[in-house]
Amino acid sequence: MKDSGFNPFEMAQSQFDNVADILDLNDGTRELLRNPMREYHFNIPVKMDDGSTKVFRGFRVQHNDARGPGKGGIRFHPQETVDTVRALSMWMTWKCAVVDIPLGGSKGGVICDPHNLSAREQEQICRGWVRQIARDVGPFADVPAPDVMTNAQHMLWMLDEFEAIAGGRFPGFITGKPVGMGGSLGRKEATGYGVMYTVREALKELDLAPEDTTASVQGFGNVAQHAIEAFHLMGGKTICVSCWDQQDQTAYSFRKNDGIDLDELRNMTDHFGGIDKEKAKAAGYEVIHADDWLKQEVDILVPAALENQISKETVSRISEKVKIIAEGANGPTTPEADAVIKDRGIFMIPDFLANAGGVTCSYFEQVQCNMNYFWGKEEVLEKLDMKMTDAFHAVSEMARKYKLYMRDAAYVIAVNRVAEACRDRGWVS
Amino acid sequence: MGGGSSRSNKLLDKLKDQEKTINCLFEIEELIKNADDEDILFQDVIRAIPKGWQYPDKCLVKIVYEDDVYYSDNFRETPWEIRAGISVQIETVGMIHVYYTEQLPVADEGPFLNRERKLLNTIADRLGHFILHLSMGHIMKKKQEPVPQKKAEWWIILELLERTDPKLLLRICRKMTNFLCWSGIKDAERLLEYFAPTYESTDDPQEEDMNRPKQKRAMQSIMSITEEIFKFASTHLSEQDILNNIQRWMKEDRSNFLANILENPGSSLAKITDAIERYHNLSPDQGELSEPREKGFRVSLIRRLLTDQADFIDIAKRFVSVNDFNDLLRRVIFPVGSQGKLGGKSAGLFLATRVLKQAAEKNDMLQNVKMPKTWYLTSDGILYFMKYNNLEDVMEQKYKEIWQIRQEFPYVEQVFKNSPFAPEIIKGLSMALDDFGDRPLIVRSSSLLEDRFGTAFAGKYKSLFIANQGPKEKRLAELTDAIAEVYASIFGPDPIEYRMERGLQDFHEEMGIMIQEVVGQKIGDYYLPAFAGVAFSRNEFRWSGRIKVSDGLLRLVPGLGTRAVDRVSDDYPIMLAPGQPGLRVNITVDENVRYSPSKIDVINLRNNTFETVEIEELLKHHGHEYEGINSIVSVLKDGLLRLPGGLGPDFDNDKLVVTFEGLNTRTDFLKQIHAILTELEEKLETPVDIEFAHDGKQFYLLQCRPQSYNLDNKPAEIPGDIPDDRLLFSANRYISNGTVSNISHIVYVDPQSYSEIATREDLLSVGRAVSKLNQVLPKRKFILMGPGRWGSRGDIKLGVSVTYSDINNTAMLIEIARQKGNYTPDVSFGTHFFLDLVESQIRYLPLYPDNDEVAFNETFFSDSPNLLGELLPAYAYLSDTIRVIDVKKISGDLNLQILMNGDLDRAVGMLGAPIQVVESAPTVAKKSIEKQPPPADDWRWRLQISEKIAAHLDPEVFGVEAFYIYGSTKNATATAESDINILIHFKGSPIQKSALIHWLDGWSLALDEINYSRTGHRHDGLLDYRLVTDADIERGTNYADKINAVTDRARQLAVGTFKANQEKGNATPKLS
Repeated sequence: MKDSGFNPFEMAQSQFDNVADILDLNDGTRELLRNPMREYHFNIPVKMDDGSTKVFRGFRVQHNDARGPGKGGIRFHPQETVDTVRALSMWMTWKCAVVDIPLGGSKGGVICDPHNLSAREQEQICRGWVRQIARDVGPFADVPAPDVMTNAQHMLWMLDEFEAIAGGRFPGFITGKPVGMGGSLGRKEATGYGVMYTVREALKELDLAPEDTTASVQGFGNVAQHAIEAFHLMGGKTICVSCWDQQDQTAYSFRKNDGIDLDELRNMTDHFGGIDKEKAKAAGYEVIHADDWLKQEVDILVPAALENQISKETVSRISEKVKIIAEGANGPTTPEADAVIKDRGIFMIPDFLANAGGVTCSYFEQVQCNMNYFWGKEEVLEKLDMKMTDAFHAVSEMARKYKLYMRDAAYVIAVNRVAEACRDRGWVS
Repeated sequence: MGGGSSRSNKLLDKLKDQEKTINCLFEIEELIKNADDEDILFQDVIRAIPKGWQYPDKCLVKIVYEDDVYYSDNFRETPWEIRAGISVQIETVGMIHVYYTEQLPVADEGPFLNRERKLLNTIADRLGHFILHLSMGHIMKKKQEPVPQKKAEWWIILELLERTDPKLLLRICRKMTNFLCWSGIKDAERLLEYFAPTYESTDDPQEEDMNRPKQKRAMQSIMSITEEIFKFASTHLSEQDILNNIQRWMKEDRSNFLANILENPGSSLAKITDAIERYHNLSPDQGELSEPREKGFRVSLIRRLLTDQADFIDIAKRFVSVNDFNDLLRRVIFPVGSQGKLGGKSAGLFLATRVLKQAAEKNDMLQNVKMPKTWYLTSDGILYFMKYNNLEDVMEQKYKEIWQIRQEFPYVEQVFKNSPFAPEIIKGLSMALDDFGDRPLIVRSSSLLEDRFGTAFAGKYKSLFIANQGPKEKRLAELTDAIAEVYASIFGPDPIEYRMERGLQDFHEEMGIMIQEVVGQKIGDYYLPAFAGVAFSRNEFRWSGRIKVSDGLLRLVPGLGTRAVDRVSDDYPIMLAPGQPGLRVNITVDENVRYSPSKIDVINLRNNTFETVEIEELLKHHGHEYEGINSIVSVLKDGLLRLPGGLGPDFDNDKLVVTFEGLNTRTDFLKQIHAILTELEEKLETPVDIEFAHDGKQFYLLQCRPQSYNLDNKPAEIPGDIPDDRLLFSANRYISNGTVSNISHIVYVDPQSYSEIATREDLLSVGRAVSKLNQVLPKRKFILMGPGRWGSRGDIKLGVSVTYSDINNTAMLIEIARQKGNYTPDVSFGTHFFLDLVESQIRYLPLYPDNDEVAFNETFFSDSPNLLGELLPAYAYLSDTIRVIDVKKISGDLNLQILMNGDLDRAVGMLGAPIQVVESAPTVAKKSIEKQPPPADDWRWRLQISEKIAAHLDPEVFGVEAFYIYGSTKNATATAESDINILIHFKGSPIQKSALIHWLDGWSLALDEINYSRTGHRHDGLLDYRLVTDADIERGTNYADKINAVTDRARQLAVGTFKANQEKGNATPKLS
């Protein structure tokens, strides 16, 4: 069967091409940035539990490290393709650049299905991966992190193997570690708080005081809860949240017009952000249709759940009152809906920027590891605020100056920063 | 339970004596023969005497002779004594005293038996002779005749028998004669005439003479016959052969009583119990019977107590010993004259424990398998109970109409619960309670139909937990109440309906009861096992290609196993394959948390109730009391699941997730389960499923039966010659068992076309379209077929992006793995929502169309008319990729049937006539299938009702424009569970609207009640009606699109005809 159709790498390249046109990048720069700097493909032989040997295919793609060591996750996926990894490594380059952290973009993975592997076999794959690539990664070259079907445990196996090879303790080799094993405080809060730091700055630009504004949030998971927490700390009021109901296999929105009580709702919420609808009703929340979060008469909408939630069908339901949409989730807005939002002049804080708190905190984890000194949570969040605020203003200024849509401005600023670094290093002219 | 122990003792004593007496006398004779000094002889005799007594361990002996006293070791005098004087000529020279060390059951003379008295007298007599003999010294020796030729050992035995048990001697003579005849020895037949019935009366006319001492005469005859026979025998057989035979016959003779009782079909259980106990006491080690006889006993006992199924007996006889029954029978309660059995569940468990016990000798893994303490009530107990309470009429219940049965059942149950048990049963139950103490109990049904090989009759009758707390009268009342309720469940509508469907209605059903101690620990006010579950020796739910069917399947939960046995919609058990413990269903931390059990079933000792509580709450308050908790939970922190450390989790602060990771990695539990399943499957010669519980220290087997199958998971028969145009696909890898029948629609996502979609947005749209189709297509009547990995999270190209809720109405999920270049990609086994699929019984099948050995009807899938555009106009642009095929329309009223046979690793999807959904009938009554009511009844009834409602609905009063039905009632697919989907085009005022709703709700509730009494299914109301307005119809919202829909178009019914007819003076249509 021939493999045509959707190719994520081609898509990432064409996205880049659009931005390169805006920036009028020269051919050399385009050539450099359209493709990864380096790719490693290697075999990982593993002795299986039943005594047989199986060989797994591993990758590491380093798209660009002009601005600093590469950063990006390691995926375990049964049908991983190198094009997916390439695309993801490129996105990592832009993601780090937009918040202006001194890291480049990488991605890696192993073709395997953890459902078919015991924990011991997975450990062998992790260690095998590190053995094959140890000389080309490291705290000052390329820093892996957890991704699809990998977690803190895999990171610790990999770290242990790396340190055995490198002969020392290098916690900065990898991020996503538990606190106490080189992890950073504030990671849980980082993405949600980051979203609201950018909202706060956007409100300033719109000349609105947070305490006079209301928000409606889709989702009640980690990101949403912390976004609401941060927003309430600023004095804002959330009147509606939506979440998935596992039992009913459908989502609901929960509304309280005089503002939700975050702690109260958290107490009736499971690990996955599912609110107990009976308890919520009893506590005076209106349980309404899943999509109703979008229709609320609020100033701020925060889609912080799934992809493609604001689509061409639903976009028309957004209230006239809405002034800001902050994308807490990845890709919550479809391109058609995005066009409508752009036309309506709603202030869009794109996912790329809005949820960059996560990657910023990973950077902080690495920084703290490298100096072997760990900050308190307050300090982490303070530094996060600074980074996010600066990043927001840079993007917003770019948008204003060049009359760009915020989403485009974020891309432009990211690509521009990387291109400049390449030029400064003399890689391109 | 014994019941008649005094009666038993008497019989027993006689018998035991026979051998003991002989052995003891024989030994003493030998001692005397070889002795020449009374000191040594007396000491030896003191050691020999106890062997002749009923309780040798508790027997002490003292011999006083002139001035000397001889003792047993550790001798002391006790009140329980028997003595006999030693006389020489007429002078008493000494005394033998036999004591028991403790109080023992009363027999003939205190605790002593008549035979013991006789034996003691004989011994005293023999010793007296010896002393006389010694004192006469050499004179005697010289006087003695020359020692005759040494007598054969067997002759000594025969002589002894003559003295102690002439009847036995006669039987042995008879046996020797038979033996000689069977051995084909010439002339042996003539010996037979000694045993001719006329022998005694014809041989000697003087026999009748009352004045002659009869016994002596008889004895002489016997001895002469004996001499004759054995002289003859000794010319043909070696001495050793004769001796061996005599010894064998003597041993067998001791068990004759058991043979007689077991062979008599009229023997009551009481008799059998007594006989077994006697037999057990006679020869606790059992090594004495000939193999055939022992086997005969085993088979008889199995047949009487367990089952009369030949295949079960054939297996059971290899593992069960006669003495096993002795232990079992101690805890059996039965009515007087009972002829009952223990029932299927008890039999299955009993056999399984025997199999494992035997295997434990060779396999360490099987050594710590226990069975909870269990008492049994025999299967005829229920008949006795009914007779005792004059409830015989209830027996006819099963021949009534099902609605009547349903209506009457609550009363039957109440009557049962308010009826007393017979005194002897109460006595038995009371003994059981004394034995159990205040441990909580489970009262399980163990009926004759349940767990029969070949019949899936699982879970039809009740099992009830009782807390068993408080004063004994209360506990006894609770216990009898529970038993009565379990008894009543035989007459419940569901089991009777189930029996009707399978032609088992006329089967003489009886119900045994198992009263089992609940394995567990007290935690706070709760009582629960550390964990429990079910395990299957065949794995029908593989989540990885590395898992073999023989790796088995385990469903584990903390607390009582009820949550693992049943599928619970809002929770998940932990599933593991014991043969592949490393391969987990859940991989990511999030999956582990989402699919972990969150609730736990417990017995609340304070309230005497069975409860479901939140695990989190239980652990927060009582975690530190929970034995074995470290094996059950992991601690979630910083995105990592860790096993608790040595100090255990911090129950106040840690987020605990049930993973059973500790159990899996730190203990041998999985190995143990695998060993148990493998052993049971091999020895029982059938796949098995077991229930078990674990108290944190020990494994307890609670139930074992052949792995049950229903239509859903029974290996399907695959027809040999399916015409090409009927065959849509076949498969030969990772096949499980089952049938997915009567599929009306196929949603086919074309792998080639899907892979060519150029934008991510469009790829996501495919998922959204599937989600919409999941809503509009008839539930469980369509299947989803698509490329690679449904619900793949990583790369959307690998499979359609859906979550479980997007596919939850499908009957089956098919993953198509097409070859790419020179490799075929993996399928996912539905792992992204594996547990959801399992719990909702959505089947899974992978297809490998490019494999040469399978069929794949590409043309059918690509060229059949596609309904997508009509169903979902908004997604019409995806018509190249998503094909919705109306199977019936294309095939001319055929359905898609998917037949899967995991045993053959073969599955086919074929077009076929609709299958009546009846689970396979067991072999006992195949032909009865025709008798069962056609499922069409449920549909027809609903249609008639709908027509009736429409007819009665006055359109003017209620402002109704039109009345439609749609869904199952319209499609003739309605079952007992279906509601009636009604669409009403409403144009009236708000007042009319509320009146209409009121009117419809009334119907709805009334019909629900009727449906319940017909079928046992209850809703909140049978009508699912929707009022649609003009605007709805225009926009196609609120189900109004059904009115002009492409599939499942609503059907209009005539409104208000009843009133119209009445006005015309027509007769009222009769409501059927």
